[in-house]
Amino acid sequence: MTIANEKSKSITTLLNGTIASIKNVVPIQHEVNGPQLLQNALKVQFGVLIGITGDLRGKLVLTGDTKVFGGIGEAMFGMPLEGEMLSSFSGELGNMIAGGLSTNIIESGIKTDITAPTIMEGSTSLSGYEKAIHLTAAFESVGELDIYLLVD
Amino acid sequence: MAKVLITDDAAFMRMQLKDILTKQGHEVVGEAENGQVAVEMFQDLQPELVTMDITMPEMNGVDAVKEIKKINPEAKIIMCSAMGQQGMVVEAIQAGAKDFIVKPFTPERIQESVGKVL
Repeated sequence: MTIANEKSKSITTLLNGTIASIKNVVPIQHEVNGPQLLQNALKVQFGVLIGITGDLRGKLVLTGDTKVFGGIGEAMFGMPLEGEMLSSFSGELGNMIAGGLSTNIIESGIKTDITAPTIMEGSTSLSGYEKAIHLTAAFESVGELDIYLLVD
Repeated sequence: MAKVLITDDAAFMRMQLKDILTKQGHEVVGEAENGQVAVEMFQDLQPELVTMDITMPEMNGVDAVKEIKKINPEAKIIMCSAMGQQGMVVEAIQAGAKDFIVKPFTPERIQESVGKVL
């Protein structure tokens, strides 16, 4: 198998692992659309970034309206979240999805670790990755969350 | 009922765990935001049980378990992490953790684990 083929296979594993992890972590009916390649720099108003290290290196970024993160938090833990607790929950949501991803893909022989989450609030632009894949998860009666896999 | 020290870098997760453990009749004597603080608090507060996240800044949870075990080899520690792969679980158990809970967790899973460990 060529290196390009191997990388493409790894990215497919990463995508499937991400979709499976979201399904496992978030108890809301949802649909995942995409994946699409992101052509421009990634602009973020509110989101969370988790670093992925090991056999595959990159970042998992979740972005969306704070109301969507709040709605997911409420569905998972039964309480409305705002301010510092909302930021903290959003980081933890990223942590759980990335942790689940890491757990899922080890079955395909890809060994990874994750970093502690970084919360992004306010206008942020991310660049400096080789490839960015964009997925959209639409959660029933909560709204959409954008998921980006930035591969180094 | 046990005196519990909670370790997690996310304030939200500490709040959740505190709420669950308190409702189950335990007393949360301390909350640490990383492994280093957990080791210091363990020495000061001598809790009967510690919950420990893995991915944290300053000192990770597995290293913190090793340090706590040096202070008290009988320390009872439950790992509570989003990282559930087998290698991570084995490393934590080898370091001395008594159980491993994968996030997201339910109050029932916490209760089962605490009951088993204490």
